[in-house]
Amino acid sequence: MSNPAEPQVINLSEAETGFPQEIAELGGEELLKCIQCGKCAAACPMVLAGFPFFNKRLIQAILIGAREMLLDDSSIWACQSCNRCTEICPREVRPFEIMLAMRRVAVREFALPTLAIEGLKSLYDVGHGVYLKEAWQSRNRVGLPEKPPSTVAFPQALQEVQAIMRKTALADLGIIPMSEAGVTERCEV
Amino acid sequence: MKVGFFVGCNTAFNRPDLEKAVRYAFPALGIELDNLDGQSCCPTWGTLPSIDLVGWCALAARNYALAEEKGLDMVTVCGSCYGSLAETRHKMLTHPEIKAQVNEILKDTSGKEFKGTSKIRHAVYYLYKEVGPEKIGEAVKHRLDGLTIAAQPGCHSLWPSEAYADPEEDTFHPRVLREMCTALGASAPYYSRLIDCCGMGGMRSTDMDKSFKLVRTKLLSMKEEINPDLIVTTCSSCLIQFDTAQEFLQKDRLLDFEIPVLHYMQLLALCLDADPQQVTGLAKTGVDRVVNRILGG
Repeated sequence: MSNPAEPQVINLSEAETGFPQEIAELGGEELLKCIQCGKCAAACPMVLAGFPFFNKRLIQAILIGAREMLLDDSSIWACQSCNRCTEICPREVRPFEIMLAMRRVAVREFALPTLAIEGLKSLYDVGHGVYLKEAWQSRNRVGLPEKPPSTVAFPQALQEVQAIMRKTALADLGIIPMSEAGVTERCEV
Repeated sequence: MKVGFFVGCNTAFNRPDLEKAVRYAFPALGIELDNLDGQSCCPTWGTLPSIDLVGWCALAARNYALAEEKGLDMVTVCGSCYGSLAETRHKMLTHPEIKAQVNEILKDTSGKEFKGTSKIRHAVYYLYKEVGPEKIGEAVKHRLDGLTIAAQPGCHSLWPSEAYADPEEDTFHPRVLREMCTALGASAPYYSRLIDCCGMGGMRSTDMDKSFKLVRTKLLSMKEEINPDLIVTTCSSCLIQFDTAQEFLQKDRLLDFEIPVLHYMQLLALCLDADPQQVTGLAKTGVDRVVNRILGG
């Protein structure tokens, strides 16, 4: 959906009727409370920035079963997770949870951005979703030890994090390599 | 007083000068920091939260267990860590079935347990409540009289307020950061885009132009309405966005000024007489002039 101003024909006979239920099961359980009042949209940074599927329109698309249309669009990954919508919603729909649920649907179709895969890989390999190999230099410069007191300094802790991650849906999806052998004593990456 | 320091990713690897500022300022105010050895990513939004609700809570719960074993609350200077840890705790405490599944995973993988006895606190809100602006104002060696600050509260210190230990009275009209700046002698006036999002995070990874559109709109509002000497934020992501985006915008001729940026903890550390190279040395924007003015004054 490149230009949200263009009128679009949506064939409702192609709608996926199980879609709202799928969203509810993946964490968007308050979906059906939405009355499309638009308060969430008025507060949403995605609207200000110009993404087509912000909270209100995401919910509308889910309710009409437009699953493929959502999978073809990257809007959901631009959500800032700021929770303005959840704060302001008069119906307690918790739109941010629906945004996350939609991401979980997309991930199960392998429709996720490369950066998300890299973040997951980094989370598994070092215990941090964001990690810079050269950070020890700037840490030294400001008078800190080369490693923070986290999984990068404690191999046992990293093993725990990896064991937890192997118990999540990530393990079934096979998006990143998750071997036990990946753990090294010095956890250098 | 003692509290666990939850460092997070961006602070540890992108802006360790901010980590250093926390490690300087807390003890200087008489608060001991525990390292919470073996802590991991909180984790945030684009990783496990986008895959598996219970898995997200389980990684967060492991971090909580480290603090609970020591009987401590945790503080963080990162909005995302604050949001992720507060939201997962809220989920586990309001949904017993999630908590039960999480504890099953923890038992099998680490022998740990999430009880819900420790909280995540935002460092600035923690200081506001436990020390108070007045005492902080008395403790500083350098005051900020005459300095105008544009406050950047950051989304995750405000919403969802139900999950937070120290919520603002009115989350759409936040006061804490402005009061904390005023306590140091500066003025931190209201401007119309005070609570706007900076555009960092998932938005910047998805579409940099749209992300920069938000930060530019906000910068212009600050400049036109209050012409600040400095932007001060409570969030490490906002810090990185404001500190790095301005150069890009200038190159594209979309911005013809620069406003230096610091996290509140860096500013506080400076006022408490920390070594400026250690607590602000990694800033890309020109903070030197402001730093010299603070230390000279």
